[in-house]
Amino acid sequence: MDETSVSSQAQETQDDSEKKDVQKGMYMTFKSGNEYFGLKIQYVSEIIQFQAITAIPETEDYIKGLINLRGKVIPVIDVRLRFRQEPFEYDDRTCIIVLNVRSMLIGLIVEQIAEVVNIAEDSILPPPTIGRTDKAHSKYVYGIGKVGNSVKLLLDPDKLLNDDDLTAVEQTDDMTSEEE
Amino acid sequence: MAEEFSTDGMLDIYLFENEQLLEQLQDMVLEQKDADCFDEDSINEIFRTMHTIKGSSGIMMFDNITAVSHKLEDVFYYLRESKPHHVPHLELVEHVLEVQDFISNEMEKIRNGDPADGDASGIIADLDKFLEGIKKAEEGEGAEPVPENVHEAPKQFYIAPVATSASRFYKIYITFYPETEMSNVHAYKTVYALKEVAEDILYYPEDIISDEKSAEVIIEDGFKILLQAQCSEEEIRDIIGLGYDIKKVDVFECKAEEFLQGFDFGDQETPQEQETAAQEEKAQEQIENEEEAREEKKAEKPKIAPGDFVIKSKEPGKQKKLAKDKPKAEKASFISVNVSKMDQLMELIGELVISESVVLQNPDLKVPGLNLNSFNKAASQLSKISTDLQNVIMSMRMVPLTNTFQKMNRIVFDVSRKLGKDIEFEMVGEHTEVDKNIIEHISDPLMHLVRNAVDHGIETNAERAESGKPDKGKVTLSARTEAGKVWISVEDNGKGLDREKILAKARKQGILDSNKLDSEYTNKEVYQFITLPGFSTNEQVTEYSGRGVGMDVVVQNIQQIGGTLDIESSPGNGSIMSLKIPLTLAIIDGIVMETGNSSFVMETGVIKEFVRVKEDMMVDEPDGDEYIMIRGECFPVIRLGKWYGLTDYVQSIEDGIMLILEVEEKKVCLFVDKLVGEQEIVVKPIPSYIKKVKGLSGCTQLGDGSIALILDAAGLVE
Repeated sequence: MDETSVSSQAQETQDDSEKKDVQKGMYMTFKSGNEYFGLKIQYVSEIIQFQAITAIPETEDYIKGLINLRGKVIPVIDVRLRFRQEPFEYDDRTCIIVLNVRSMLIGLIVEQIAEVVNIAEDSILPPPTIGRTDKAHSKYVYGIGKVGNSVKLLLDPDKLLNDDDLTAVEQTDDMTSEEE
Repeated sequence: MAEEFSTDGMLDIYLFENEQLLEQLQDMVLEQKDADCFDEDSINEIFRTMHTIKGSSGIMMFDNITAVSHKLEDVFYYLRESKPHHVPHLELVEHVLEVQDFISNEMEKIRNGDPADGDASGIIADLDKFLEGIKKAEEGEGAEPVPENVHEAPKQFYIAPVATSASRFYKIYITFYPETEMSNVHAYKTVYALKEVAEDILYYPEDIISDEKSAEVIIEDGFKILLQAQCSEEEIRDIIGLGYDIKKVDVFECKAEEFLQGFDFGDQETPQEQETAAQEEKAQEQIENEEEAREEKKAEKPKIAPGDFVIKSKEPGKQKKLAKDKPKAEKASFISVNVSKMDQLMELIGELVISESVVLQNPDLKVPGLNLNSFNKAASQLSKISTDLQNVIMSMRMVPLTNTFQKMNRIVFDVSRKLGKDIEFEMVGEHTEVDKNIIEHISDPLMHLVRNAVDHGIETNAERAESGKPDKGKVTLSARTEAGKVWISVEDNGKGLDREKILAKARKQGILDSNKLDSEYTNKEVYQFITLPGFSTNEQVTEYSGRGVGMDVVVQNIQQIGGTLDIESSPGNGSIMSLKIPLTLAIIDGIVMETGNSSFVMETGVIKEFVRVKEDMMVDEPDGDEYIMIRGECFPVIRLGKWYGLTDYVQSIEDGIMLILEVEEKKVCLFVDKLVGEQEIVVKPIPSYIKKVKGLSGCTQLGDGSIALILDAAGLVE
């Protein structure tokens, strides 16, 4: 009872008070490489099977292209490529997690869907900053959740999707090309 | 009866109707702003409009709107009755527009569910002062002071609670020859003729059109009419006339009270009061049936109780006005539909077009040896219907630019008055129709351009006099369709763009290429600088422009809908800013093609030719650029696969196909692997998450459900 009421409340206030939601948040976890990642469940709109992707030229390599989700055109990104890991072959088990981030639908191609877990707030630690050389990695991981003996890297979808540094570069590119 | 209608519905109609009235008012006022004074018709019209608004706002209890409209009504009442000679016309125009703005603002608040709490006292005080001013000027000339509006006065539609007016009330009793067939139709003819003069008309039997039995009643008991009009008995007799059908016409003048009581004359039984009211309502409804749909409001108004003079007397006046307006406004038999419903329909038709191609291009049909004769027949019938359906929905979405243009008229007026410039405004081709979505997108950019033209473009009166130009500046807003695009241009006869100044500014901002001489820049290139962010050559920041935001926003907005901005200018003679925008965004004809396993679509309109080419027609440049000679003409070649870095695309020029594209007089050849077919495609935007890719303008869903990218020829040519 208590849990359901909390999660429904969480959905209502999803936009303004994300921190509160973390208290007894549910997380969708998936496996990429050797690690497990978690996303707040309220961002997940649905999970679909892998389908044909229309590639878009001249985009970052991790943006795989567009898919047709029942008449809606949504972009999909490959999580492994996003994490600068080695690409993997897509097969029958490959899934696309459709996220709804600020009413924008976007698909994440992941190797393997794991499970939905409950992570209490006190089991979430800030990501360790010392000893990590891979800066890009720690940007989208905002916390580390402990579930039993295993560890899930919790992702911030906003940062996962939007690379601020990159967009800044793009903008200046655009400007110079317009001037020509 | 009033309870049957929710106030919500009434509120909607109130807002809708008043909005239209205000729009008409603004158009009329601006049309005559350059005259010396309003003509009599307009004065009456404004008076009536204000009166209507006052009445309906009173019912809806929006006191501040009622007060303001009442005040303006007073002013126009005075103008109408005493015809003063010294009216500062422009000041009056401003007052009217001010009132219009105030009411529009309040209505916006009401629409958003906020209380209409605007403070009207300032405007009312201004209007009072203004009215006093013209009255004094007039009295100074020795003219008779005119009685106050609220008191009785001859010849007005509006009857103050003390009911006196020039309207007379008649009871008319028409007897038809007993052998007349279809006497109900004859009776209707009479009613119709009387409507020309009638301020209010009731008749019995009331159901003369649909009820055939009424014919017998008319023959037996005669046809009775209650008429409120300003004409004399003789005139009425003239109108009714004695024909082969009418045996006798009796016209009695009567008092207003009797009129309101209804049909209690002759040997007719006195009907119950309520019945009278019901009849009234019915009679009104009947009249309304011939009015436009928006007139429905009256039927929904609370029942008019006898003795409710103000509302009653107002309506005939309004009906008359609208009837007269009808041919001009061309609004007959229009209905207003919620835009979201239209969008939904549009979307559904889009889906229909897609599923149609899913069916017609189904791979199952490609099995060899199938007999598809009757399928093909049925399929072509289906395609025809869906094409028609699309055309209809597209035409439903097409709206004339008139409203948008008229808004600009207001801007020119406001800005030029504030800046003290004398500017004429001309509209050309305002009836050009454009998709509603596009209209929404061009309103803001146009506003910027028009403001710029008035503020920067046209010189001050003194400057104009100095350079020997005609006194009046002129801004022309024109629209035309050409080759599937709409051209909208804002033209002014001001000083034009200053090339040197723009270049100097560009140099200061470090935009110029230091290796290039100033003279190497074409005029077009130089003028394009002003569309860059933060670029303004106006030394002084004014209320309207000069902050350096504006032109870049204009260009951005226009590009969003696939349009372009062209700037032409000649020093001393003015400049022309032309927007070229597509007619519609939603469905286009396209050629589907394939390159390196990806599908692309190109708008049919830009493709001039498909050519199979031979290797010896190609010309290679050392730096990798390729050209092709076709019939003595040389075109640059873009290999789509290479351009986008695709894999598995056809390498040999003889195995693929060449498309000759023409965009804005530039020609280019596009090399693709193969053509798939022609198809109507529903344009969908590429999700905003993906940054803009040069040469792509959107995406679409193909017959098999896969997604194809739409190529933007203009982007490729660049």
